[in-house]
Amino acid sequence: MSTTPDDSELIGNVEKQDWRQWLKGLDNYRGLFAFGIVFLLGCLFTPKAFDTHLPVFISWRTQLDILFEYCEYGLLATGMTLVILTGGIDLSVGSVLGLSATLFSLLTIGYGWGIASASVVVLVTGLIAGTISGVLIARFRMQPFVATLAMMTAARGAAKLISGGIKVQPAAMPWYKLQQDTPEFFRWMTKSLPGIGLKPASLLFIICILVIAVIVAKTVYGRKIYAVGGNEQAALLSGINVANIKVKTYALCALFAALAGIVNACRQDIGDPEAGATYELDAIAAVVIGGTSLSGGEGNMLFTVVGVLIIAYINKILSLNAIQIAPRMIIQACIIAAAVLIQRRKRGVS
Amino acid sequence: MKRFSIGTAVVTAFAVLTLVGCNGGGGDKAPADGGKPGTGGKTAAAKFTIGMSQCNLGEPWRVQMNKDIEEAAKAHPEINIIYRDASNKSESQQAQVREFIQQRVNLIIISPKESRPLTKPVEEAMDLGIPVIVLDRAIEGDKYSCFIGGDNVKIGRELGKFMVKALGGKGNVIELKGLQTSVPGKDRHNGFMEGIKGSQIKIIFDADCQWLEPNAQKEMASALSRFPQIDAVYGHNDPSAHGAYQATVQEGKGREKTIKFFGVDALPTEGVKYVKDGVLTATFQYPTGGKEAIDAAILLLNKMSPDKKIVLGTKVFNKDTVAKGGEAL
Repeated sequence: MSTTPDDSELIGNVEKQDWRQWLKGLDNYRGLFAFGIVFLLGCLFTPKAFDTHLPVFISWRTQLDILFEYCEYGLLATGMTLVILTGGIDLSVGSVLGLSATLFSLLTIGYGWGIASASVVVLVTGLIAGTISGVLIARFRMQPFVATLAMMTAARGAAKLISGGIKVQPAAMPWYKLQQDTPEFFRWMTKSLPGIGLKPASLLFIICILVIAVIVAKTVYGRKIYAVGGNEQAALLSGINVANIKVKTYALCALFAALAGIVNACRQDIGDPEAGATYELDAIAAVVIGGTSLSGGEGNMLFTVVGVLIIAYINKILSLNAIQIAPRMIIQACIIAAAVLIQRRKRGVS
Repeated sequence: MKRFSIGTAVVTAFAVLTLVGCNGGGGDKAPADGGKPGTGGKTAAAKFTIGMSQCNLGEPWRVQMNKDIEEAAKAHPEINIIYRDASNKSESQQAQVREFIQQRVNLIIISPKESRPLTKPVEEAMDLGIPVIVLDRAIEGDKYSCFIGGDNVKIGRELGKFMVKALGGKGNVIELKGLQTSVPGKDRHNGFMEGIKGSQIKIIFDADCQWLEPNAQKEMASALSRFPQIDAVYGHNDPSAHGAYQATVQEGKGREKTIKFFGVDALPTEGVKYVKDGVLTATFQYPTGGKEAIDAAILLLNKMSPDKKIVLGTKVFNKDTVAKGGEAL
């Protein structure tokens, strides 16, 4: 708000200065603060188990469920953060997820391919889709919104085309190699690992976001992303190959969408060409709620983790309490707005 | 610092909002009740809790299913049912089953959106000793306690036979199909073909209306403009038959008086009402299985086992039988 402190603040003594300093440091953790509040609400409004009367929300298993249920969104948000950091947007991730889920199922269930080779083909397909978007944006100067909107439509069409408009599952077609059950890998991805209880699908999200966090914070590529998003003209003048960075970023984003597609196929046990519709909006919301700026150049992966968790926990709380769909949507909207307001940082104040 | 306090204010406002929302939804007294009419108020006496996951409450037939369950449950004060609506998302329904497990419900009733995605969560519940009753759409494998569903082939066949009688063995028929990539859509067609076999009934026009009334209305308008002689319309669901009727009325030639319209589903607010209003000649009930689910649940909760697979019959509602609640076939 106002950048000029009022009179009472000018008089401030040393103690008050300390307090302000402390609050300024706290500024960076507003997302965490918002998450803390959401978690607290979950603890307050948890239904109790019918036999043990223990609160359901606070159990370890619920936390694992939340992570598992939101790992696809998490993977999408990971890639989306990179794109948003460059000042762009990617609307195609939901469709790329659908295409990948369908392609992965088709290759493994339909054609009987191994998991490794099918995964490679799916990930490469994702990379290609992302590269096309990136090239349209960087080389042909298309608006990211428009270019990825086109990719969103194209990828959804491709998903329907390769599947023949049906959901890919064993025995869906007489010629499918697998007629009985989906490959063992599908089950493995969604089964708790012994000991920690974490599922491989959730673990994949955690690993991905850690790797990307390191890349963004520590590598030259990471710093260039911030430079491009912060001021594209300045980045160009200082010798950064802006187009190259953009293409790479959109390709990476689609790669994560493809990974999320594989996870989706395993979780749903089916290759649904309609999978992932409107997921892009949740991914964007998660990034923004975390505190990454839509205008680019500002934010980081920790923010995104927090954003994904905020959305995931809110939905879990609403679901556990069986809030009806109509009030639920309105509450979700209020929460998104509130979360963004909490963590909005004072721009233009150094 | 001003913004910070605004943020805090917003959070507080939101906290209050959620608080109000949650209390409206049952709070901690009646866990996860969701404020649905008729579900609360029994928690104190209830010995058993049943979790019911409905795939989509946007469809009238599924609303009816919940109503039937609620109605049947009134006779059993020892059970309390919590209802969930997955809003047509498999992901939400998977989460709901896991939450039921977490809440340690005594039994789960599920009407799945899609068979495969729900198979694993249902297996998880069964592995933990929670019986699961599956309604309408089956799941993969046989790890469930009881499946209850209607028989669309039989419905189609009975409707076919009924139409043969009603038309005196011959006539030109329009078939407005349900989604043909779905099993019920195919079954209702195949059954009908069996039913009219051997008669001189001819299907002169057919279209996949995907269960939707506006589509049926458009297709019927095309049929009306092409064929001067139409004797009957078979809508794979009541809205399709109703849409066809509307199109015929709108044609303005008064042909709705000579054409006979047949539908399927027989919901009290749709098909049955249309028969009472004289719009449809007959409608065939596709039962929800709600009552049967509660019967099976009571058996399971008392450690007895119902039949693994229960196939429901159908009822016909026409002008003679509608007053007495249809005639079982």
